[in-house]
Amino acid sequence: MNSRLFFVLTCCLCVIALAMSFYVWQLRKNAVDEAVPTAVPEVVTTPSNAAQKQIVLWVAHDDTGTLRSQSLSIAFSSERQRQAEDVVRALLGVYTVKGSPHPLPRGSGVRNIYFVDPGLIVIDVNSELAAGQTSGILAEELTITSLVQTLSANIPALSRVKFLVDGKEVNTLAGHADFSNIYDIAQFSAFAQRLSSQ
Amino acid sequence: MIDAAHGGTDAGALLTPTSVEKDIALNVARRLRQELNTRGIQVQMVRDADLTLSTDQRATIANTANPALYISLHASSLSGGMRVFTAMLPSGGDSKGPFVDWDTAQSVALDRSKTIQTQLMFAIQQTRFPVRALVTPLRPLNNIKSPAIAIEISPTTGDAAQVASSGYQQMICSALANALASMAPALRTSAGTRP
Repeated sequence: MNSRLFFVLTCCLCVIALAMSFYVWQLRKNAVDEAVPTAVPEVVTTPSNAAQKQIVLWVAHDDTGTLRSQSLSIAFSSERQRQAEDVVRALLGVYTVKGSPHPLPRGSGVRNIYFVDPGLIVIDVNSELAAGQTSGILAEELTITSLVQTLSANIPALSRVKFLVDGKEVNTLAGHADFSNIYDIAQFSAFAQRLSSQ
Repeated sequence: MIDAAHGGTDAGALLTPTSVEKDIALNVARRLRQELNTRGIQVQMVRDADLTLSTDQRATIANTANPALYISLHASSLSGGMRVFTAMLPSGGDSKGPFVDWDTAQSVALDRSKTIQTQLMFAIQQTRFPVRALVTPLRPLNNIKSPAIAIEISPTTGDAAQVASSGYQQMICSALANALASMAPALRTSAGTRP
């Protein structure tokens, strides 16, 4: 093999090696791009065909330890599950803004709402809500009574409620309010009425 | 029977950077025991040290002792003075004959608990101290078959440090002890002479 041929072969091998390196680098870049999840909007919007509806929020007020009802117009889905999510999102929106009457940390939310037996609603709150909840008998009770009463005021035919945190059964919300049992919504409604009249 | 809530690994609420609910509850429980003893009322404590006890263990202790009144003591930063709670019972309940359902054991004494709550609130109101009567889904209240209430003490000023002050605790315990002492004859009548 003469030196000229050797030089040409070496150059060809170098070009092939560079091309392969570039190809592998591209493959790797694509794989990394696919691994990064596409940004999910924080708020799942209600379908545009949803009708506007006046709902009632039962809002907790820490300064007086009471609940007060207030009306709000929101886009209201025709699907029951979606309605419940819309209502809860509207309520938590009140609690997670600066100057809230019952502050909860940003990111507080409800992961899922399940309708199980006829009348039984299971509310699965996220760990941000549980971790940011002020610990105390009344403080915790204001949160859950507000949630339950707001749901039952806007979603018909609910009779019992059960709470989960991050999909799991826990003993309490933040050390006090019992999350281990199923409770009658009528009891929370009666309590909400009492809290709103004090 | 007085039960200082939380304890041990369960600190309860953080009221100020240096005071947690378990310690305040125990301090108030000890002061209240002292005040009641000086008025001739016997008291049993569920815990008299920094112990970890589950709600089931607390309920078992109370149900074994079968006291005239079980008081669960709590403290909170949410202002309002004093709050007296009776149990909000879970739905269902499966008591059969002599066997009482654990989760709704309080159902057999709930009417009595509510009467005591009303009497206690009325007596505290005479002192002009702010007090409210409420219900709560709180364990171990649900699991106790004797009359049972929970008392949550909180600041009147909006400053949580007030609850940690010995003067404030003493004032609350004196008011509570006076109220309970005025009810003692009725409690003894309904439950014998048990503490």
